[in-house]
Amino acid sequence: MSTASSNNLPRISEAGSRESEESGRAASKRLKEGIESALALVFGVIFFGLSVVVSVETLSRKLFNFSLQGADELGGYALALGSTLAFSLAIMGRAHIRVDVFHERLPKSWQAVLNLLSIVSLAAFGIFICWLAFQVLVDTLNYGSTAPTPWATPLAYPQSLWLAGLIAFALVAGGYSLQAIRLFLNGRTDRLLTDFSPKSAKEELKEELDDLVLRQGGEAS
Amino acid sequence: MSVPFIALGFSAMLAMMLIGLPIAISMAVIGVVGGVAAYGIPFLDSIAPVVWGVQNDNLLTSIPLFVLLGELLLRSGIADRMYVALSAWLGRLPGGLLHTNIGSCAMFAATSGSSVATAATVGTVALPSLRARGYSMRSSLGSLAAGGTLGILIPPSVNMIVYGSLTNNSIGKLFIAGIIPGLLLTGMFMLYIAVAAMWSKESMREPKVPLGERIRLLRNLVPPAIVFGIVMGSLYFGIATATESAALGVLAALFFVWRSGRLDWALLRNCFISSGRISGMILLIITAAFILNLTISLTGVAENMTRWVVSLGLSQTALLLALIVFYLVLGMFMDVLSMQVATIPITYPIAMALGVDPIWFGIFIVLMSELGMITPPVGMNLFVVHGIRPDNGGIQDAIWGALPYAVIMLLFTLLLIAAPSIVTWLPLYM
Repeated sequence: MSTASSNNLPRISEAGSRESEESGRAASKRLKEGIESALALVFGVIFFGLSVVVSVETLSRKLFNFSLQGADELGGYALALGSTLAFSLAIMGRAHIRVDVFHERLPKSWQAVLNLLSIVSLAAFGIFICWLAFQVLVDTLNYGSTAPTPWATPLAYPQSLWLAGLIAFALVAGGYSLQAIRLFLNGRTDRLLTDFSPKSAKEELKEELDDLVLRQGGEAS
Repeated sequence: MSVPFIALGFSAMLAMMLIGLPIAISMAVIGVVGGVAAYGIPFLDSIAPVVWGVQNDNLLTSIPLFVLLGELLLRSGIADRMYVALSAWLGRLPGGLLHTNIGSCAMFAATSGSSVATAATVGTVALPSLRARGYSMRSSLGSLAAGGTLGILIPPSVNMIVYGSLTNNSIGKLFIAGIIPGLLLTGMFMLYIAVAAMWSKESMREPKVPLGERIRLLRNLVPPAIVFGIVMGSLYFGIATATESAALGVLAALFFVWRSGRLDWALLRNCFISSGRISGMILLIITAAFILNLTISLTGVAENMTRWVVSLGLSQTALLLALIVFYLVLGMFMDVLSMQVATIPITYPIAMALGVDPIWFGIFIVLMSELGMITPPVGMNLFVVHGIRPDNGGIQDAIWGALPYAVIMLLFTLLLIAAPSIVTWLPLYM
């Protein structure tokens, strides 16, 4: 795996620059964790809230024959925003699937280039779907489209949230891309390998094992 | 588009996937490039409504909800406690704790949906005690790897939602259809363990646990059983759609987490991040798959492929046998979800043209995906159980240990081809 052999690669050995790099890394780690928590909170609130509304609707429809209507529609909007936040969370957790069976057998420099290409392509895709979403929204505004449902929701509202979520995704992916490009230009292949490789089965397993230890009341390694 | 051109596009996509570019990107790029090649720039205008349509599809809302449901049961430790209860009940069978591995993996994976979490949790609890009691490492690893695959067949299964949404089939029917094959396959795995144990003459059995203790331990199975009952019951009796049953399940799971006294922000944050990552990964792939699907349907790729296959004069059985080989090979190199989304848009219309039942075909695809989880070199479950073994053996132990189960899965698939009503019978009574 890439982490094991990254020590063989050239590193900046000056103590000072390493120290400042360490503190820079700590700051960016805190920023990342903050963004991740915020995204996770909104994601959780959306789907817990939706569960409550949908459950109430389902039960009242079956038990009292009374339908609130629109829970389906709300579910669609919840997904439109929730999925875009989830895209960002997946970027931050390196969870977007990549096949690593051949990747990890390639020369280190190729692996680094492919890692760079992967994150940049995700950012490009993010910008592309932002552009598509923007067109959808413009059309909606031009025609004043409403949902074909009892609520007749003006679609501009949910679509604006959707676009906002996609912009967040493009920004997160773009931020990671800039970091990757900078690492590449500075010749820091080692960090392109440690921070941008596809998540291996080993890493995923370690995360699960740490969580297992935590929930059984111990300290994670 | 002609068949060679399609083959070229499909190969290009596979190549991008295999050198390690993100799966979603590989599919979207081929979809967009293919569409623009056929229709020029105006094609881009037709993508936009498709993307909104996917991301606004209430059916797909069930994916984050089911993932969240599984994470709640997993991270709160509710799923962990099932192993203890099952080992007290199943340990007396010939083959002892190996049955417990299969049984707990099946239940655990059915609730959590993640094969890595399943193998990690069950394996960590099981492997040290299996080793201390002298079970062979090979059969221990094999049973864990194989048990972990059962989760995508036993509902609720995200892979079935993906199939249903790509092919416009009822998620509820697919879930219900998975129950009998899931139980049968679990039974076949356990039968194999018992027969192998008796045959090898060093049959392992666990000491008898007093009945009172066993009944007391059943308590641990109550929360997952109730959650499962709510989800499947509401679907089966037509009370709820897939998304509604998932919402009911999330609330039930939340109630049990609260009862267990572990409900706090740290746990919730953990669940939210983890379910966000998993659903983000899945939904981005689905979004890309729909872009690719648009190109496939506009350009008539599926019709051309179907016409070509039909012109070969294959019988239904011959086609399915060919597909088994195709998926067996593909599953060796690709992960399950990528394999599904990349192939279903082509293989589904072909199978339908030859008169295969759509729900049956969904179960078939899921079985082929399960097989892919334990076939080397990229069997995810093999790596995972290998990663938690307490001694320093090689990966080949996991591979050889899982091989009999792979053979059982293949035989089971042949059985389903011979007797398709195993799958199609139960959904008839919904």
